[in-house]
Amino acid sequence: MSEPLRVIDFGCCPPLRSQTLWHAVGYGVSAGAPATLSFVRPAAPYVCVGYHRRLDEVDLEYCRGHRLPVLRRMVGGGPVYLDCDQLLFQICVPAGAVPPARRQALQRLLEPAVAAFRAVGVPAGLDEDLEICLGDAKVCGHGAGQIRDAVVVCGNLIDHFDHQRAVRVLAIADPAQRDQTLALMRRFVAATPVDQAAFRIALTTAYGAALGLDPVPGEMTGTERAALAELDERFESDAWLAGPALPASPNGVPVARQVKVRAGVWTLAATRDGASVAAALVKGRVHEVRLYDRELDGRTDRAEQSLVGLPLTAVAPALAAFGDPGRRLAAAFGAAEPGRL
Amino acid sequence: MEMAGWAFVAGFPLALDRRYEAETHMWVLVTEPGRARIGMDPVGIETSGTLAQLSFARVGTELAVGQPFGQLEAAKFVGPLVSPVSGVVLGVNEAVAANAGLAERDPYGAGWLIEAGLDESGGGLAGLLADPAEITAWFTAKIARYRLEGVIAQ
Repeated sequence: MSEPLRVIDFGCCPPLRSQTLWHAVGYGVSAGAPATLSFVRPAAPYVCVGYHRRLDEVDLEYCRGHRLPVLRRMVGGGPVYLDCDQLLFQICVPAGAVPPARRQALQRLLEPAVAAFRAVGVPAGLDEDLEICLGDAKVCGHGAGQIRDAVVVCGNLIDHFDHQRAVRVLAIADPAQRDQTLALMRRFVAATPVDQAAFRIALTTAYGAALGLDPVPGEMTGTERAALAELDERFESDAWLAGPALPASPNGVPVARQVKVRAGVWTLAATRDGASVAAALVKGRVHEVRLYDRELDGRTDRAEQSLVGLPLTAVAPALAAFGDPGRRLAAAFGAAEPGRL
Repeated sequence: MEMAGWAFVAGFPLALDRRYEAETHMWVLVTEPGRARIGMDPVGIETSGTLAQLSFARVGTELAVGQPFGQLEAAKFVGPLVSPVSGVVLGVNEAVAANAGLAERDPYGAGWLIEAGLDESGGGLAGLLADPAEITAWFTAKIARYRLEGVIAQ
């Protein structure tokens, strides 16, 4: 007889609990509880920040004004907007049950989710960046982490995605970059409205089969309930929300504002010596760009058009044709750090 | 292939002037009595994937063998950096915190992670591999196993 895969459906929960419940399960699995698949749906919208992300990536004033809680999770990835149109799911297993290579562990724990999407009629696939996609659109956000001796991978099934609000909650000062980010998000992040109950069953079946475990409904252990109380307090503390100590940006100001939409799809805004750029990049190439330099005179359109389709590495040589303004704009582009997305 | 203090094992450099924790692939280089620099060897980094971010406990934080002294993020996966020693954090490498790729490019040098004051009362460095021949044998066997299991590329 197989070992159990505990399945817990937490139902619809307030924002804080939609995070702390499954984190508590991580502590439980680490302490010996069975591998667990859990589901939760946020009862209200909120913003959730990945463990290592700076809080200033979020427009905190907007969030406060719209009563959107901001929470920091213990797994990776960027700031995301979550609401009741998303069913969050988490698979949590002992660390020893997955390969030591993180990419392989992630792949092993995402493949059953792909199988579940397919089982409910969404022909999704896992791309080379380990994102669950339908065509070139991401249809399931994910993050992963190790909580003590348990590994957890979380994802979401999106009924409907509020692209506009997902961009609005981000701190993006440049209006052109905001427009570009929204356009990319509309193209590269998609909802898959399917039968929720069928998806839950398909996911449970797929994880049970992939892990060789027997799915059984379960509840939280005493260890997990104790962890939950501590996590509720921790996640609401300013110290936790501030995040881990990270190096300060030069002069306290980010050199460039980069916003990742999905793997290989991002926007950039940067200013140098009075020249500014706002660019949308898709798979390493300039997709759309807005340039400003006071000496570019009537050549702005031509400069912008000259960059579309170029890889980031070819931008500076192309801008060299525009003299000093081109060099200043190239310097602004030089602030891009795609490796840090 | 060997140079003084170095070995190259199946494509991975191996510094032989320091100690290693066999499970976590953390190295410990004693820089002066009671003080050591800690980093991760190239096999540990390879299994982590492309590093996006490293974060460390603050200076003054107590260290315990087997407990985290920081976190590593790669491919949206956050996991602990596990201490190979007990003691206290004396310093962190701000350069590698600002640019995690430094640990990939120079894991034994500029890519060090933290400096620790060692607590010798709890066995000190006794649990670590210290003999160069023993280290080389462990590293060779680990790479062979990981390649056989497909954990790292052939």
